[in-house]
Amino acid sequence: MDDASEREFAEYFRARRDAVRRTAYLLCGDWHRADDHAQAAFVALHRHWRRIRDRGALDAWVRRTLVRAVVDESRRPWRRERATAEPPVESGGVPSASEAVTTRHVLVDGLRAVPPRQRAVLVLRYLDGLDVAATAEALGCSEGTVKSQTAHGLATLRAVLGDALEDLRPAG
Amino acid sequence: MKGVGDMTDDEKLGALFRAAASDTAPPPGFDHESVVRASRRITVRRRAAVTVGGLALFAVVGVGGAVVLPDGREEGGASTVAAPMLAPEGPPADARRDERQAPPPAAAEGAPGAAQAPYAARGSGEADAAAPAPLGPGTTECADRQDPALRAIVEEYLPEVVGAPEAAITMECRPPGERGVNLEVTDGAARGVLTVQYLPPGADRVGGAAEGAVSRPTASGGTVVVSSRGDGPGAAAPFADRLDALAAQLSPRL
Repeated sequence: MDDASEREFAEYFRARRDAVRRTAYLLCGDWHRADDHAQAAFVALHRHWRRIRDRGALDAWVRRTLVRAVVDESRRPWRRERATAEPPVESGGVPSASEAVTTRHVLVDGLRAVPPRQRAVLVLRYLDGLDVAATAEALGCSEGTVKSQTAHGLATLRAVLGDALEDLRPAG
Repeated sequence: MKGVGDMTDDEKLGALFRAAASDTAPPPGFDHESVVRASRRITVRRRAAVTVGGLALFAVVGVGGAVVLPDGREEGGASTVAAPMLAPEGPPADARRDERQAPPPAAAEGAPGAAQAPYAARGSGEADAAAPAPLGPGTTECADRQDPALRAIVEEYLPEVVGAPEAAITMECRPPGERGVNLEVTDGAARGVLTVQYLPPGADRVGGAAEGAVSRPTASGGTVVVSSRGDGPGAAAPFADRLDALAAQLSPRL
């Protein structure tokens, strides 16, 4: 890449790294893997930078790459994910809603029990704030699919977390 | 500013997700330099593979063919004659700089030129006996999940994927011996990711393969797993009707 392109990429990287890491974290539930996925997405972006003419579509491109990588990984034989009936809880069981920080861990743990595609829909919609149309575009599926995956994902999350989800409250 | 009580369900969920994602974030494990470095490393590796492939093709067509054609009955003639010429004594300078780069022996064995040797031989009549040695396990410390040698063989049997961009993969260090290729492919209206994975002999496969995956034992005693998935749920998987044939064609080459 020429210097101007490198500067553009560097600027984009600085602006978006943390957001991409956060998305990756909720997608996979582990910061180390999240960093791997986020880094791979940025490496892919750097390699394709000159071919992405629509700079307004960079976020969508990275999201799509990221989600695909995480979902693909979840399907690989050595890291196949299986939805569980209960969230993987820390010793001591599900914490109370008043324990704000721990409660957020409950949400992350609960997300692990949601199938990867549904989880991706939830993360894109509620973390990245995408509407149905943008989520559908990012995932390469129909808006109807996004709606149904959202409903199923939330139902799964509620089934796993029970009252804990209703009691969850954002930090003040 | 809205209080929690004034939020809609979507807003509450959004606030929860954002809080969950930001609360415990450790310092990032990568920076701009490491990204650029990894990108350039991949580019160098791809160029090296192309260069080796070009040299291999030249050697096979220019020299190997001349040796093989006069006596097509000589088993393994193409590989035994050409291989030493293709494989340098040591790794190229680029490969020495980075242990994750494609190993020269593998690149030589599976380079595009070497992979085309059987075609050249078939054109002469009966030289299927001169099929190259199977590619076999990878030799890098961490498995190469965008293995140029494996890709060259895949492209031989599925030329539609020549030039296809690499699909995103993680930086995870997979056990040595494995090889992989993950490509963003298009098959008519179907778009998605084609994955070819080679597992060395004795490698444990935890759980089942991806939906629709086809696996075959390979000539080196390993297993090749070919799968494809479409973009999005319910989307048609590209080359779904050719996975079985592809696995069968790759089987004797790996």
